[in-house]
Amino acid sequence: MSTTEERVRALVDANLDIEGRTAGQPLTLDLSIVDAGVSSTDVVAFWKVVCEEFGVDISAEEFAELLTPGDLIAHLDAAG
Amino acid sequence: MLCRAALRSLLCAHLDCANAQLSFGAAEGGKPFALVDGRPVDVGFNVSHSGRHGLIAVAPTGRVGIDLEEHVTRGDFDRLIEAVFGPDEQADLAAVAGDDRIRLFYRLWTLKEAVAKALGTGLSFDVSHFQIPEAIRSGESRGVLWIPQISEARWQLTAIDDRGFAAALAQEISGTSH
Repeated sequence: MSTTEERVRALVDANLDIEGRTAGQPLTLDLSIVDAGVSSTDVVAFWKVVCEEFGVDISAEEFAELLTPGDLIAHLDAAG
Repeated sequence: MLCRAALRSLLCAHLDCANAQLSFGAAEGGKPFALVDGRPVDVGFNVSHSGRHGLIAVAPTGRVGIDLEEHVTRGDFDRLIEAVFGPDEQADLAAVAGDDRIRLFYRLWTLKEAVAKALGTGLSFDVSHFQIPEAIRSGESRGVLWIPQISEARWQLTAIDDRGFAAALAQEISGTSH
């Protein structure tokens, strides 16, 4: 079974264009996706994709605090 | 980098100060504010980028937010529409198709983003909690927004569209600044 980090990385690979990163590379766990050049439309789309993929309900306010992969993975692990 | 230099130049001209006198602080939520000689000054400003383009807004007083988005066709418009738009906005988007839908989507998106940036809340404010005034949704370029659950402030909204981009400006025109 895939780990949460592997699943989040697959979602990032499929949905986000992060400056300086190519698909398949390890995630920089402490880099905010906003600081990595991801547009607001892509951030919102990613928020909804994460909720669907993991079957969780994360509010906009909560997701705004989970913009690094590390924080998001920790939240999903705690929720799961 | 160029936007940052341009912002400093604009603010120095507006505030009649030298570059070395100008610095920036960050309010709660991360929104920057300007200081001259270490003292906060009453000027609103905001910056937006999309692709190779950028916009800067400077307001003599009050909060201001600006957003710029390139018209890009996406496969997930429906997901985004459901996430950020209210029922009247969704109905307006359902009534148009093709390029008209793309233009309306980005017009509404940039207006909401400009308001969130003016408020300084960024992504933490769920913009589905308010709707863009009907006049702007119908094609007017300007309108006034009030979000009673947030504050007494009224916001002058201005939509600036062309064939390839949407841009929007939100400027506080009354109410309390905090």
